[in-house]
Amino acid sequence: MLGALWLLPVIFAFWSAFHPAEFSTHFELFAPLTTDNFVRAWSHAPFPRYLFNTFILVTLILAAQFILCTLAAYGFARFNFFGKNIVFALVLLQLMIMPEVLLVENYRTISRLGLLDTISAIGLPYMASAFGIFLLRQSFKTIPKELVEAAQVEGVSSVGILWKVYVPLARSTYIAYGLVSVSYHWNNFLWPLVITSSVNSRPLTVGLAIFGAPESGVDWSIITAATVMTMAPLLVAFILFQRQFVQSFMHSGIK
Amino acid sequence: MSTIILKNIYKSWGTTQVLTKINFKCENGELLVLLGPSGCGKSTTLRLIAGLETPTSGIVEIGGKDVSNLPPVKRNISMVFQNYALFPHLNVAENIIFGLKARKVPKKEQKKRLEDTAALLGLSDLLKRKPAQLSGGQRQRVALGRSIVAQVSVCLMDEPLSNLDAKLRQEMRQEIRSLQQRLKMTMIYVTHDQVEAMTIADRIILIKNGVIEQHGTPEDLYNQPATAFTGSFIGNPPMNILTPDSPVMAACSSLLSIKEATTPYLLGVRPENIRISEDSGIKVMVEAIEYLGADTLIVCRSAKQIITLTVKGKAGVSTGDHLRLNWKPEHIHLFDAKDGRRMEALPKDITS
Repeated sequence: MLGALWLLPVIFAFWSAFHPAEFSTHFELFAPLTTDNFVRAWSHAPFPRYLFNTFILVTLILAAQFILCTLAAYGFARFNFFGKNIVFALVLLQLMIMPEVLLVENYRTISRLGLLDTISAIGLPYMASAFGIFLLRQSFKTIPKELVEAAQVEGVSSVGILWKVYVPLARSTYIAYGLVSVSYHWNNFLWPLVITSSVNSRPLTVGLAIFGAPESGVDWSIITAATVMTMAPLLVAFILFQRQFVQSFMHSGIK
Repeated sequence: MSTIILKNIYKSWGTTQVLTKINFKCENGELLVLLGPSGCGKSTTLRLIAGLETPTSGIVEIGGKDVSNLPPVKRNISMVFQNYALFPHLNVAENIIFGLKARKVPKKEQKKRLEDTAALLGLSDLLKRKPAQLSGGQRQRVALGRSIVAQVSVCLMDEPLSNLDAKLRQEMRQEIRSLQQRLKMTMIYVTHDQVEAMTIADRIILIKNGVIEQHGTPEDLYNQPATAFTGSFIGNPPMNILTPDSPVMAACSSLLSIKEATTPYLLGVRPENIRISEDSGIKVMVEAIEYLGADTLIVCRSAKQIITLTVKGKAGVSTGDHLRLNWKPEHIHLFDAKDGRRMEALPKDITS
């Protein structure tokens, strides 16, 4: 029942998007279907550009996170260095801080870097993700030391061991984390709103909000059409990957 | 040449001394077994030779070269781990040539070595499977294959058979022994199973608490144990180590002329050398009987000591019987009670 309640706004959005304006608040089972709303929404605001921005954004963030978090997690999981526990405690500390709290400070830093209103600016605060480091470290730690020793005896370097042993064996963690990261950043709103000011870098969430602003009157059918366009890629991806999504969370426990 | 020499090796973890004054030489082409109870330091010794640990002091030489501070790959060795250490995400073929790829051996050479090794070990049909789809014995052979394909003359094995059932263990140890001889590998084999050691070793090093108890051929360890520990560790069932209390001495004093106890000593006698006698010997009561088919184990008690003997076939005794046991003087081993070291004494020339 809770699921049904949850789905209601989504159902409404789909309903309203595919039917002409008169039926957006009228539930008639055999109302005519139309894609007119999508066409109008598409031309009303630079959605292609927004889509492009969002796509670049999540890809950039994910790539940076994979690289940075893998390297950091490897260091924590395998090596002993001076101050290791303190540094890890700092990493965990980051987990407790919501990035929204740092809004003003981050804005100041980005403007000093001269990166205001760029896609990389949206992504920068999130790239060294403590959550990613933590997840990967835990995953790396489950890999038996004997595998590492066997690789050492075979003549593989430390970096080689990371690439050939640790990363392939942590695949399910990467998938799980990737899905979480992509969905989080696709839907992220507040920080991108603050840091972007033009179409050049604005992601879909902000673009949609501006589009739906009431100055032009509330035309639900167009707004919902735009919303569906925003949701669609993620929804499709989730449906395609849902088995892996659930399985990866399960497997990372059992291994 | 791939002679392995350890000189004055000491190893400690913090304040715990794990290995003390380890000195030995493993000849080229020899199968040397490091034998001992759990925690005695045999695996640590192997890892020192492999380069996975560094000694606190002392030198490791392989092929005449001092390798004490070199990483494993520079020592020209291969290793088989207790839990096989197969990479679960790679199939059998990729597992076997993993090291060759890492060392950038040409592809044609990789293929050739893989085919040869797979044929040698009977793995040719399993090359596409992943480790999870293999049985214990098959995984064991893949681990062996990985070490053979490296084509180095030194092979180190850390209890490779301890995860297999008894029958498979017996088959595999023969296979390993014949492989070692065929490929003329210098092999150092760690195990806690004295049967394994006795059956495959050229020479055995028995280690206890990080110290070498004895280094010799299986015959030496069996017939001339250097310490009471060696005597009781080698041989199944183990040697009886008896304190010379009055019942024991009453049985033995006519057989030995031991100088009046200047040092406390222990008597060792193997179960298969003890006979049931009609009239002479030590009086015991039978506590337990274990029928094994070819032999029977009889566990007896005399005053405070337990004496075990074996007889051929089925014994005509039952629990609670009173027997007399004796043994020949040449089957007695004397050990110093303080440090367990072997003592020589003159047996009287008397037939029992």
